[in-house]
Amino acid sequence: MTMNRRDFLKVGAGTSGSLMLALSLPGCSGMPTGYTPETGKWKPDAWLEITDNDKIHFTLARVEMGQGTYTGLTTLIAEELEVDPEAITPRFAPVAPEYRNPFYKLQLTGGSTSISSSWEPLRRAGASARQMLILAAASVWQVEAAECVARQGHVYHPNGQDSMRYGQLAELASKQSIRDEVPLKPAAEWKYIGKQHGRLDARAKSTGNAVYGIDVELPGMVYGVVSRPPRYGARVRTFNEEEVRTMPGVLDVFAIERGVAIVADKYWRARKAQEALKAEWDNEDALSVSTDEVFASYRRAADDDPGDSERSEGDYEAAAGNAEKVFEAEYSQPYLAHATLEPMNATAWYRENRIEVWAPTQAPDLGRIAAARVTDLSPGDVTINTTFLGGGFGRRLTQDYVEEAAAVAYRVKKPVKVIWSREEDTQHDLYRPAMLHRMQAGLDGNRLTGWHHQIVGPQLLTWYVRNAAPAQYPWAPKFMYGTLGKIGLLAEGVATPKDMSAIEGAIEYPYNVDNIDIRHTHTDPGIPVTFWRSVGYSHNGFAVETFMDELAYEAGEDPYQFRRKLLAGQPRHLEVLDRAVSIADWDSPVPEGRGRGIALFKSFGTFVAQVVEAGVENGKIKVYKVACVLDCGQVVNPRIVEDQIEGGIVFGLTAAIYGEINFDKGKVRQSNFHDYQLMRQFELPEVTVDIVESTEAPTGVGEPGVPPVIPALGNALYALTGKRQRRLPLTADV
Amino acid sequence: MALSLTVNGEQQSLDIEGDTPLLWVLRDELGLKGTKFGCGAGLCGACTVHLNGEPVRSCSTSVEAAVGGEITTIEGLAEDGQLHPLQEAWIAHGVPQCGYCQSGQIMSAAHLLATNPAPVRDDIVAAMTGNLCRCGTYSRIIAAVESVAGESLAYDAAEES
Repeated sequence: MTMNRRDFLKVGAGTSGSLMLALSLPGCSGMPTGYTPETGKWKPDAWLEITDNDKIHFTLARVEMGQGTYTGLTTLIAEELEVDPEAITPRFAPVAPEYRNPFYKLQLTGGSTSISSSWEPLRRAGASARQMLILAAASVWQVEAAECVARQGHVYHPNGQDSMRYGQLAELASKQSIRDEVPLKPAAEWKYIGKQHGRLDARAKSTGNAVYGIDVELPGMVYGVVSRPPRYGARVRTFNEEEVRTMPGVLDVFAIERGVAIVADKYWRARKAQEALKAEWDNEDALSVSTDEVFASYRRAADDDPGDSERSEGDYEAAAGNAEKVFEAEYSQPYLAHATLEPMNATAWYRENRIEVWAPTQAPDLGRIAAARVTDLSPGDVTINTTFLGGGFGRRLTQDYVEEAAAVAYRVKKPVKVIWSREEDTQHDLYRPAMLHRMQAGLDGNRLTGWHHQIVGPQLLTWYVRNAAPAQYPWAPKFMYGTLGKIGLLAEGVATPKDMSAIEGAIEYPYNVDNIDIRHTHTDPGIPVTFWRSVGYSHNGFAVETFMDELAYEAGEDPYQFRRKLLAGQPRHLEVLDRAVSIADWDSPVPEGRGRGIALFKSFGTFVAQVVEAGVENGKIKVYKVACVLDCGQVVNPRIVEDQIEGGIVFGLTAAIYGEINFDKGKVRQSNFHDYQLMRQFELPEVTVDIVESTEAPTGVGEPGVPPVIPALGNALYALTGKRQRRLPLTADV
Repeated sequence: MALSLTVNGEQQSLDIEGDTPLLWVLRDELGLKGTKFGCGAGLCGACTVHLNGEPVRSCSTSVEAAVGGEITTIEGLAEDGQLHPLQEAWIAHGVPQCGYCQSGQIMSAAHLLATNPAPVRDDIVAAMTGNLCRCGTYSRIIAAVESVAGESLAYDAAEES
């Protein structure tokens, strides 16, 4: 990444003598870095604001959904600004091009990229502001700036005695200009980066004061619920409007694109009125498949179409032809729901020529498109206010819930909060796709000579492009949205980024094998799908690392040693693998009734090895221990890294043991936590997380804990039972 | 119907249907948004509050069932401006990730300590198993409760009932 300093710094005096520093994120070159309030066309860039009464505000462009941006990104700014992170008040960013994630050119939080995409620019922003404050103080004292020191919100005179507060210097600092690049602090001088410290949002979240989307309160606000057709894609034909209207508190009942909306003065009255609703659905375009048929269609597709070649080395066919033995296996994984604990919700208020939305969203610029789509407004007339998110996991990248709230608000012309029930949240999710994997390998004795992986299933861009493509061109008229979506798909891999969602984690196969053939057979049964914590890695990790385990046994080798000898020249893979084995005491005897399994998987730039010790107790899978070692480059906040990895392990184990969404003739069978179970406190294994010390650039931690724990658990159960499980969720019936 | 409730020590008069879940009364009528809606079926524990010192799922407790009782929510745990020791522990241990379940977690833990001031780990696990956390903060929750267990607590069962 390169950055043009002139683009980077745009300095102006803010109101009431505050220093406002705008920075342009790398990757956005060519985009105006300024904002013209008169035209209202562009919102401000990422702002650091220091007021003359020492308030420091930092605009957080990556939403806080538990992964720790609120603390981590603030730490980056604080380190270089020379203030305690606690002294900074983060606020959630409005929609503006400068807040886009440079990796996606969209304002979204996902892909475990918040720290890696902010690492350089936020530290530079902090350093530049610090230098301008120093220059301001030096000009007051008429001393050399180089002899002044910034520390704890003050600039100190060379005499070491006198000092001025940042607030006192703010106005004067805004008039300083920097010609040379301000050097970043060397790692040895870091006070906050890499050090143990708390979460800045812990207090608000331990006192009930953090405001999530569901907590938004507006004057005169009313409540909406939406009845959606049981089968995706159905449309409302008729409903008993008059009867529902007579229910207590009901203000309106009407059809919207996605179902029937009921608006009442109180939430519970809306829910009770919903019980009286009788709707008939037009199922002509509705989903009708069952899960079994999905897998049958995947198998047919796999037979008919070898798929696009995604990685090819050597000659797999020849290697298989010459191999002593060709080993085959087929793996499958079900649809999965996100189950954020805060159900989908959004609040919207339509007034003449504008709409304001409050939403727990991972992609506010897509939310703007969604709200514009269902009103008479343009994206520029839509204001999105982001709140804390009660979980995201990819679910809140899709803006269907914002679209609904906007459609309801457009009709009622009052502030309205639309809340989904848990059942609605489970049954009208966009799911982690069900996937099928056909694996083949050639073995000569204990030597792996060829690797073939055919991935079968949909890709996510098809489902995501609808709002994502227009969000990249917010000036485009709405009648072009459909076209933009089509162009986005057609240009995939050329003008728009290649969709890696089906193949990521498979094509980075790390083992040294001469002949590799990795393919994707694209087939989409029409069930709505989207990103789910660790995305393609979540299913490819299971296929790759379970098959590697099978091959180890087939080759008569220890699963750890089998992997190890294929990793020459891959020091970071080797280090996490060796350390995990050491922590888990791999070679020690396994306690009676338990098995030990291992998996190694890199995702989002981070290397993770895990050893799981598991067994079966009272007819259920019991996980006793998980030893995890990761290398995510430079760590900003060690405790948050540990928490993310441990949380990922719980998330992965939940999927491995319980996770399954099934369709019966187009309807989702599961509905609430009794049949879509999450791991509970009593099931928590003993988890050890060890982080490799590194000065490499930071990589993701929100997702990489998930993929390896699923095959590691399956491999542990195999070690115990001798029965290989090739479909998820895993079962204790062995 | 006209109802009277005592919430966090304050008498509240309301005019609302008696079958309305206590959760929505606390949140929308009294503005106590710290108590969360998670499942509406008593399965996740995000809506946990205390009714006469006992933890209840406010999503599945009708407001009329709470009439005449003493209700404590996350907002009422602090005393004289001092956070409950569990809240301090939650902050010190950095327990919350997304944080959405944590009001319910803290209310379950507060009830445990009010009735069993020195719980062992198995007691804590048993008491906390009704509260789901999708982010997987379970081990930090245990550590935070253990750090408080055995200390003298300002908020105890005697005061509550």
